[in-house]
Amino acid sequence: MRPSLRLLNLEVPSLQGPRALYVCSGCRQEARPRPIVARQFLRHASNADSLSERVRRKIWGTDNPPGVEDPYGGQGALERKFKNQQAQKQEQAPEPAPVEDLPLVDDSYEPATTWKGLERIGHLDRWNDAPRTEVDTYESFSLKKKIYKKGPLNLAAHQTAVEICMMHALDKPLLSICSVAEHEKPVFKMIWKCKIQPNGTWDKALEYPNQEAEKSLVYIFEQIGGQPAAPVAEEAAAEQTEEDTEALELVDFNEPVSQTPIAPFFGYQDARDPGCLTLPLTDADTKFAFLKRFSQLTGHYFPDPVIHQISTVQQAVAYVQGELKPKPKKLAEHLAENEGLQGMPNVKIFGKRRTTLHKDDEMGRKKIIEAELRARGLL
Amino acid sequence: MKRLQLQRWSGSVLSAQARTGGRLQQRLYYAIRHQSTASPAAPAGNDQLVKKQPQAPSISSPHSQKSRYRLPSPPVEAARESAKLAALHARLYLPSRLPLETLARSLVHPSADPNPNFNNESLATLGHDLLTYYASEHLICSYPRLPLTVIFAAMYAYVGPKTLAAMAREWGVESVAAPGGEVDPGYLQFQRLAPGTDVNPETITGTERPHDDEPTWRKSVTSRVVYDNEYGDPVKGPVDPSELAERDAQTSQGVTVEEANASFVSAVMGSIYLHAGRPAAKRFFEQHFLSRHLNISDLFNFSQPARDLARLCARENFEAPVARIVSETGRKSRSPVFVVGIYSGQDKLGEGAGASLLEAHFRAAVAALKGWYLYNPLDVRVPSSMEEEGAAPWKPVHVDLGEVIV
Repeated sequence: MRPSLRLLNLEVPSLQGPRALYVCSGCRQEARPRPIVARQFLRHASNADSLSERVRRKIWGTDNPPGVEDPYGGQGALERKFKNQQAQKQEQAPEPAPVEDLPLVDDSYEPATTWKGLERIGHLDRWNDAPRTEVDTYESFSLKKKIYKKGPLNLAAHQTAVEICMMHALDKPLLSICSVAEHEKPVFKMIWKCKIQPNGTWDKALEYPNQEAEKSLVYIFEQIGGQPAAPVAEEAAAEQTEEDTEALELVDFNEPVSQTPIAPFFGYQDARDPGCLTLPLTDADTKFAFLKRFSQLTGHYFPDPVIHQISTVQQAVAYVQGELKPKPKKLAEHLAENEGLQGMPNVKIFGKRRTTLHKDDEMGRKKIIEAELRARGLL
Repeated sequence: MKRLQLQRWSGSVLSAQARTGGRLQQRLYYAIRHQSTASPAAPAGNDQLVKKQPQAPSISSPHSQKSRYRLPSPPVEAARESAKLAALHARLYLPSRLPLETLARSLVHPSADPNPNFNNESLATLGHDLLTYYASEHLICSYPRLPLTVIFAAMYAYVGPKTLAAMAREWGVESVAAPGGEVDPGYLQFQRLAPGTDVNPETITGTERPHDDEPTWRKSVTSRVVYDNEYGDPVKGPVDPSELAERDAQTSQGVTVEEANASFVSAVMGSIYLHAGRPAAKRFFEQHFLSRHLNISDLFNFSQPARDLARLCARENFEAPVARIVSETGRKSRSPVFVVGIYSGQDKLGEGAGASLLEAHFRAAVAALKGWYLYNPLDVRVPSSMEEEGAAPWKPVHVDLGEVIV
C-alpha cells in the first residue's frame, strides 16, 4: 500500500472520532504537500463514489446523506482561484480560426522502409581517401613555438611597433599587417634599422635610417591590405599595377611563408633601438592591433584581463617576460623553499606525491613483488 | 673501582678491529669472511634480486640509488637523509652525542646484514649486559630477600625480550618487509621467519648443563644461576668457531619480530653507553625501564605457604607460627567471612580473610611470607652508583639468605 493511501486511512477515523490511531507529524507532513491534481484524484476520484462520500453514506446509512457534500470544506482557495482563472482564460481566448487543410501531405508519399533507392546526401565517395585539399590544411595564426628569450622578444616588439607606425602613417587598416606572417630579409633589415622616438605618437614616432629605406618601406607597406583609394586615381596606372603585382610576387613578402626559417628574425639577436618600449597603448584599436601582431610574432597569448591592464608597449613585453619566471605554483616548491622546514631533520619534502610504490620501496617490499612478478613472467 | 676509558673502548667496539669479550670473541674468527658488504655469506633466501645480479667485487658508488639494491642494509650516509630516523632520535630524547648513524646501525639485526661492522650485534651484546646488570642489581639491592624464581620472573619482566619488544613498539619503531640497501634506515631491519616456522621448540638442547638430554631429571633452582640465562631459561652453550657458520645459516633463516625488537632496544642502550657515557645510560635505564611499574608481589606462586612459613620461622629462630581467628561473621550463612591472623609468639606475621577457615589461613600465610620476602630497605644504593664522581664509601648492602628450601 502506498504510504499516502495508508495515511489517508488513518486520518479518516481520526478526524471523526477520538484520536485512537496516532500518525506522527513527520508522516503527516510527508503526506500533505500533494499536488492539487493528485489530491483531487484521491478525494474526488469520481464525484459519485469518492471515499468521503462513501464514508458519509456509511455513517448515515442512506444513499443521500444530509449535510455538506464535502465535509472537508470542498475545494481550497487555490483550487477555486485556479479554476476561475482557467474559466476566464477560456472565455477570453478567441476561438481559433479554422485552418484550411493545406496539401502538406502528398497522397503519393510512401514512407521508406529500407534505404534502397533513396537519394544519397553528403560526400559521394569515401572522404578519407580523397587527397588533401587547401581547406583541409591548418596553419596556426601565431608561432608554433613560443619565443622566450629577451632579445627576440625585443625584436618582435620593435618590428611590431615599426609596422604599426607605418600603418598609422600610411593611414591603412592596422590589422591588415597580420596577413604578412614574415618579411623578407632585406625588408626586415630595413625595419630593424628604423628607430622610434621615445615618448612619441604612433604616426610620427618612426625615424627612417635614410631616404632610400623610407621609400622602399613605404612602397612595400602600400601593398599591404589592398590598394589605397587615392594613388590609384591615375588612369595610366593600369599597367603599372600589373607590374606592381608582378613585383609584389617577385618580392613575395605578401604571402605567408610556409617553410620555417632556420632562425627566427634571420639570426638577429636583439633590437637596435629600445625606443618602441615607451610608446603608449591607450588607443583601443592601436592596442588591439599591436597585441595581435605581437602575439602573432611571439606566439604568446594575451588574456582579456591582461589586455585591459596593459597601457604601454613596455608592459606588454614585461608581461611576456614575466611568464619566463613563473611563481612556484606547487606546494612542494613552496615548502622546499621554507627555511624553517629545511632545518628540521625529521621533515622530508618530496616533489611528487608519495604512493604505495614508494612506501613499498622504503620497506623493502618492492623488490620482493618485482621478483615474484618476474618469476611468474608478468614483468 | 677503576673507571673505564669509555671513548677508547667504544672505538674498539665500533671499529670491530680489536674485539674482546665473550660473545664478541665468537665473531672474531668468523668476521674475516664478512669484510665485504656484498658478502658471499649473504643469506640464501635473503632476496632474489641479489641472487640474480652479478656480485659486485666492491661497492664503487654507494650513492646511486640502483647500487643500493645490492647492499644488505642501507649505507651509512643514508642515515642523514632519513626523516624517520631523526624523528625516532628526537622522540626517544636521545643525547645529541649519539649520532644518527649509530642509531641506524642499532636498527640492523644480524639476520639482515651479517657483517658485524654494520649490524647491531656488538651494540646489542653490550646493551643486553648493561640492562641485565642494572636490572639485577636494582632487584637484589631493593628486595634482598626475594626468592630466586621471583628474581628470574622480575628480570624477565623488566628486561626480557617481550618487554623490550613492547617498548620498541611503544617507541614507534616499524619493521621492514624485507631488509635491503634501499630501505629507509629508520625501519627495523631483519630477516623475517618463513611462515609456519616453529618459534618455540619444546626442549633446548646443547646447553652447558650436564645431562641436559634427560628431561625428567630434576633441575634445581640454584643450578639455573650457573647454567641458565638471566631469566632462568635454558640457553645454548658457547659455540665452537668452526660451527659458527652453521649457526649463522640458522640465523639467516630469519628471526622473530620480538627478537629483532629486543636486539634493537639493547643496542640503543649499548650505543648510549658508548657515545654518551655511563650516567646517560643509567638515566636512560631509569627513565625507560625502572619507570615501568612492576608489581613484584604478583609474581609469587606458593603451593604450601603454611609449611614454608613454619620452615622460615624455624630457620630464623622465631617461635612457631600459630593461626588464630581474628574475627568472623556469618559462619552459618551462605557467605561467611573469616579473618585469620598468623602469630609468632606475640607478633602478628600476617593476616588474611577468606570464605572458609582454610582459605583465610592460606591467605594469612601468604601475606606473612610476602611480608618477609618483599622487605624493601630504605635508601638503597646499588653497586654501580660507586662509579659516580665523588661517591660515598661503599657500605655493603644487606642480602638475605634467600628463600626457604623445603
